Order: sequence, then structure tokens, then C-alpha cells
Amino acid sequence: MVELQQSGTAPDPRGGDGAKGGVPPFERIVADYGPLISRIAMSYEADPTLREDLTQQIFLAIWQALPSYRGESALKTFIARIAQNRSISFVTKQVRQPKLAELPERLEADTPNPEEEAIELNEREMLMQATRRLPLPQREVIILVLEGFSYAEIAEMLEIAPNALALRLSRAKTALKSMLEQGYE
Amino acid sequence: MSDFDLDRLGDVWRQQPDPAEMERLQRTAIAVARRARISAILDVCAAIAVGAVVVFLVVANPQPKTLVLGSGAIVVLLVSNIRQRKLRKLALKDLTGTTEDMLDQSITRIETTLRHHKFTLWGLPLVLIGAFIFSAVVMPQRRAIFGGLSQIPWFRTTWLAVWIAALIGLGVFLVVAIRRGASELNRLRAMRDAYRQERDSSAP
Repeated sequence: MVELQQSGTAPDPRGGDGAKGGVPPFERIVADYGPLISRIAMSYEADPTLREDLTQQIFLAIWQALPSYRGESALKTFIARIAQNRSISFVTKQVRQPKLAELPERLEADTPNPEEEAIELNEREMLMQATRRLPLPQREVIILVLEGFSYAEIAEMLEIAPNALALRLSRAKTALKSMLEQGYE
Repeated sequence: MSDFDLDRLGDVWRQQPDPAEMERLQRTAIAVARRARISAILDVCAAIAVGAVVVFLVVANPQPKTLVLGSGAIVVLLVSNIRQRKLRKLALKDLTGTTEDMLDQSITRIETTLRHHKFTLWGLPLVLIGAFIFSAVVMPQRRAIFGGLSQIPWFRTTWLAVWIAALIGLGVFLVVAIRRGASELNRLRAMRDAYRQERDSSAP
């Protein structure tokens, strides 16, 4: 993972000519943080087609925001924040197509297709599904914890006090645990 | 899952995508960046082209009227450019700020858009009246504007039909946009309330 700090006025890191001024080029960022972006998109959008659309929007948002990166936080934090915010705004816009957004989850639950059952049994998939069912404020916290951010980083990112974060995380853990246990039964 | 270990779940969560998935992600990102670059270049080119055309028209026809119209067009171009930059800055702030700030700003933006749409919808009849008055005033010059076109049979009816269709289309678009905006606004408000509730209940 690339954890580079940058200060002062940043040259545009989006060009393809290498790591100018400390920020890696866009292609490198995608290689390093692509999986993180993909997982965040997956934890907000279940429908693969819509998820593809969301992933593109996240990449575009990062591309647009990169010149404003001043190295005040780690690049990973900067990217995760953009990915979360874009995902949340994407989810709110999906009110326009609620059927499309909800249909795949219902289908997965209703069809006893062995292949899909196998996928559902997959622990990671179950974790993703359970996360998607969490209320947004709790989902945001749990995703960042699962992504390996420290509590201090999360508190800074969400601009909340550490004890408020602990409380929110505890609620999120309880809800997640209950959902996962139901899934395993 | 009896032992609820977030560290272990984190390991499960952070499984690396397979190489094919990674390649697909790379392809998507490169395509997005390419499109964004092209779009930025086209924006600049379009602004230069429009500006050049306006300047050319003013130079080719140096009359006070053309000068006023040309200056007006350039001012409109500049204002729209500045507005777009402002909107981009706001969007950037949304992206890099906290979720609650983003929700607040989204709510404000949708409220403003809804107000504009409602204003336009209620202003449509006024625009219609204005258009009829304008058409009546311009009537004697119609030949000069449309030239030989006004001689074509059904031209007037077709012209009127196009206008009515455009106005109906605009009306329908506005009604749909207002309804969609209202539901989006409700959803955003519900989310913001959820955040506030969570924050208040977590307060020491």
C-alpha cells in the first residue's frame, strides 16, 4: 500500500508520467486501492450492474478530487472517504429506481438455486449482505473497521469523539453479530 | 459464528479480488479517467470555439447591436463557466467532507433545485403569454426572419405544434423532476435524521 504524504500545492497527479510531488499516478492508485474501492461499492450496492456504475462514479470522483489532496491525511483515508461519500449519495439517488436496486437481493433470497446457495454460504458474501443491511451510520463505521483503519483514523474521518465512535461501533457490532448468527442458522 | 472477532472478519472482508476482477477494475478506471480528460478538453475547446464565433460575428458586422449581443453572449459564457467551477468546488467539498456535511449540502442543493423547478413550472404560463406578445410584435418582421419558409404550406401550424410540444415536454419534465426530487429529499432527510439520532444517542 502506498502511504505518501504531500504538502503545499500539489501538481496534478492524474497524468501518466509518474509520481509527481509524492502522489502516485491515478493508475497506481487504482492498482493499490482498487480492491478497497470495490469492497466499499459492494457494501453499498448489491446489484452488479448498478455496482459497476457506482464504481465508475467513485473512480471519477477520485480522479476529480486528486488535485485537491494536500496530504493532511493518509491517501488511503482520503480515498476511503470519497468512496463512502459517493456511495452514500449514489444510494440516495437510487430512490428513483427502487425496484432495480432491491430486486437482486429478493431474488437471491427466493430462488433455491444451488449455485446461489453456495455463494450465500460464502462467509464473505454473508458478511457483505449483513453489512448492507446495517443502518447507514453504523455501516459506515463497520466498513472502516473491517478495512483496517484505526479507531483514531475513523474518529478523525467521521469527525466524532472517540467515545461516540466506540458506542456506535458497539451497536454496529451487536447488529452485525445478530444478522450473521441468523444467517448461519 | 460464536466468537465475534472483528479482526478475523476483517481478514475475511479484505480478501483480494481475483486477477480477472483486478484487471476489470483497472480497465474501468482507465476508461473513466480517459473520458474525464476528453470531457475536460472538449469543455475548453467548446468555450474557445463559442468565444471565437462571437468575436468573429462582432468583427464581421461591427454595429452597436451586434456588439451588445456579442458582449452579452460572452458574459453569459463567463457566468456559466464561473458557476460550473463553483458547483465543481461544492461537489468536491461534498466528496471530501463528513457524511453529515455531505447530506446537509445535498439537501440544500436539492431544495434549491426544487425551488427553481417549481418557479419555472409556475412561470410557464407567463412565458407563454410573453411568447404570444413577442410573436405579435415580431409578426410584421416574420418574413424577414423566416424568409421563404413562411410561404411553405402548414409551416405556421407545424411551427406552433413544435412550440406546444416543447412546452408540454418541458412541463412534463418539470413535474417528473419535482416528484423525483421530492422523494430524494425525503430520503436524504431521513438519512440525516438517522445520523443526528445516532450522534445524539452517542453523545457522552
